[in-house]
Amino acid sequence: MLVQTLFISLIIILAFVVAKWKKLSVELSLFTATLAGALSGAIFATPPLVEIPRQLVEGSFTYLDVVLVFFTATLFIAIIQESGGIDFAVRSTVVYFSRQRFLALFLLMIIVLIPGALTGAGSVSLLVVGAPVALALRGLGVSDNKIPAILFILAGLAAAAPPVNIWAMILCAGTAIPYVGFELPLGLPVIILGTITILILGRRQQERGQLDEFLSKIKLTPGMNWFRLLIPFVVFFALVIIYRLFPFSFPILGLPLEFLIASLAAYFLSPKKLNLIKIASSTVEKLLPLLATMVIVGMLQQIMAASGVKGLISYAVLIIPLGLLFFLLPFIIPISEGVLTYGGAAIIGIPLVWYLNSLGYHATIVISGLSLLWPLGDGLPPTALIGRLSAIVSGYEGNYWRILKEAWLPWIIITVTGILMILFSSKLSFLVIS
Amino acid sequence: MKNKLFRFKIVWGIIFAIFILAGGYPLYRHRHYSVQLICGPGVTEIKKLSDYFPPLKDTMADTTIFVLQGKEPGGKALILANTHSNEPEGMLAVTIMIEKAVVEKGTLYLIPFFNHSGGVNTRPGEGYPLYFSIPTPWGKKTFRMGNRDASPLDQWPDPDVYIHYPEKQMLSYLDIRNTNRTWPGRKNGLPMEQVTYAAMELLRKEKVDLAIDLHGAETMFPVTNCIVAPEKSMRIATLASLTVKSMEGFENHLESSPSKFRGLSHREIGDYSDTLPFLLECPIPFLDQPTGPKTEKLLLDGKDSFLLSLAKKKKLFVPYDQSGWPIEKRVGQHLSVILEIIKQYSRKMPARAIVIKDVPRYPELVKNGVGYYFSDPTKVDPKKIVNQ
Repeated sequence: MLVQTLFISLIIILAFVVAKWKKLSVELSLFTATLAGALSGAIFATPPLVEIPRQLVEGSFTYLDVVLVFFTATLFIAIIQESGGIDFAVRSTVVYFSRQRFLALFLLMIIVLIPGALTGAGSVSLLVVGAPVALALRGLGVSDNKIPAILFILAGLAAAAPPVNIWAMILCAGTAIPYVGFELPLGLPVIILGTITILILGRRQQERGQLDEFLSKIKLTPGMNWFRLLIPFVVFFALVIIYRLFPFSFPILGLPLEFLIASLAAYFLSPKKLNLIKIASSTVEKLLPLLATMVIVGMLQQIMAASGVKGLISYAVLIIPLGLLFFLLPFIIPISEGVLTYGGAAIIGIPLVWYLNSLGYHATIVISGLSLLWPLGDGLPPTALIGRLSAIVSGYEGNYWRILKEAWLPWIIITVTGILMILFSSKLSFLVIS
Repeated sequence: MKNKLFRFKIVWGIIFAIFILAGGYPLYRHRHYSVQLICGPGVTEIKKLSDYFPPLKDTMADTTIFVLQGKEPGGKALILANTHSNEPEGMLAVTIMIEKAVVEKGTLYLIPFFNHSGGVNTRPGEGYPLYFSIPTPWGKKTFRMGNRDASPLDQWPDPDVYIHYPEKQMLSYLDIRNTNRTWPGRKNGLPMEQVTYAAMELLRKEKVDLAIDLHGAETMFPVTNCIVAPEKSMRIATLASLTVKSMEGFENHLESSPSKFRGLSHREIGDYSDTLPFLLECPIPFLDQPTGPKTEKLLLDGKDSFLLSLAKKKKLFVPYDQSGWPIEKRVGQHLSVILEIIKQYSRKMPARAIVIKDVPRYPELVKNGVGYYFSDPTKVDPKKIVNQ
């Protein structure tokens, strides 16, 4: 079986490399690799040839909910942007806080953390507040290269922050560990690491002249004010929070509908007339590569499971000697996220937590430590979901790898923190209050 | 040029439509495939879960209850299978009981497809087979392979976080479609909360003594090959565990139901009714992450070389060798433990005893296989067949 699964793995990798070499897009290269994996798997009837269409169609639904959230959240922010709300917010924030720079940076960090912490998705942070925060950072003199790096790290931390951490929830669901007691083990490192990130990446201010030049470039839409700007956000957060306050009397709307309702509020409060169809079309156009990646990663994951490649990855991680495993975790965990997104938590995380737990490591702290490492993988290809979104919302058009290069120091600090939490999980168990 | 682009789009549109139809049709068929269950001599009544909570009537969440009432009054037991429809051992054990069991004293309530919606759902991203077939002396009997959670076609959207009723514990958003996280259920809740609410109504109205929820778990999961029980059920669980070990030679250790982990049958049934709950887990190598291809063969014989290698490195929580963990062993374990729990309870509470006969136990299952106990549907009275 080892030879068979290794053969299929090699075909998948080879197909991806050849497709990229032929200059196909990331999405088409992934699709080529998926098809190659399915066809090579069919040699061994894993999956049988006749089942390939079913496996692909079924796999394409793996991240349907994520796709819907991405679209509706981006539509929401696009409406705010078209109505002039973002320009207004940025100009006002920068003018008000430009003299208290650290406080401004800290507040912007909190603003990025909140949507992701409430929904468990760093993408939601970026889609809702990423664009205005990027502009505000620019106004505060943070260099263009560092802005997407800040957003990437903070959005990742937002996803890891309590109360909702999807990786931890997947691991808890898979390991039958209650999702309780994560507030401090996740909350404390997120706040500390977020503060360190903005200090490292945002401390250098470009020349003062930049601010005036920046402000002069921002055109304000007549009629836009704080009320028109904030009400749609209030509507969204109210819908998120009201379910938590009254979970048994308030209907479950789901994030996509909550974003659509907030979008309608933004549309009706816009001081100028907006063409909703045009905004929706341009949103789809902008998001298409990202949405296609999510659909194809689901297909790839399905083919990897049906062919045994997924199991091979999990097996390979589990046979690594413990000492070496800790050394390799900073690579394995982010790469698994880059390839499989949340699938990595299930494939590697669940058996890993059982294994470490059986050796006496404290499961809640181990899961918290791993949860700090997974978001880093959202910057890694082939998916690079959060990294690419950070570039999109901040209008960054340079080399993608430059973003990761800028983020190297916070990346290492977060990695070391996560690994230390796992290593000393028993001693940190006092953080778990349930 | 414009015509060329148009033609290109048309051709790819057609290819895409064919691909969607070829891939989607098997999924449509799976959702509408019925499993034939044959009522044996012990079945005295067929009910629906909606009889205990009418809003479920005519929904995909409703499911069939097979009642086996003895001639003598006695205690009552509810046995649930396919709470997680990707753990089919329990469903096979209950299907055998529906065909073979005869109750002499007391009453059995058997639900083979508890999360019916989960049974017609698939698991995107996991590459499961859609069906599995059990060889029988007359051919093959085919069952649907389902999912752990109810279908989003029947319950959607999911919240961004699931808040359990009534304890308000936060759980993964997916667990709102998991009928082993929605106990004790909610009358005005979502369909899966209503399913567990209906089951609680059954327990309360029929004054059921024992509830046994049948599951399977990964070999790398510590809570596998065991009986999970709360404090009030622990004595009976202990006696059952010790008896099957000494009499039938298989391990089935005990796990205490954690009081802080909410929504599970072994916790909430005990806390919200007078019934004694038990949850049985048997090992299913198919569910483990580090396995080879997710094939029907792996599901049935439980043989996997990756797991064998990990077993040698002592990374599994159950004994594992070349023989794998075949389906007849898993179904046999469930049947023997069910019978033993009922026997131990009957000894402790003679006035509420339940006496069952003709149900095969572990050694017979291992010897004869699962299919040996299924009747040929073409040779039984059609009135005895229930499509589920």
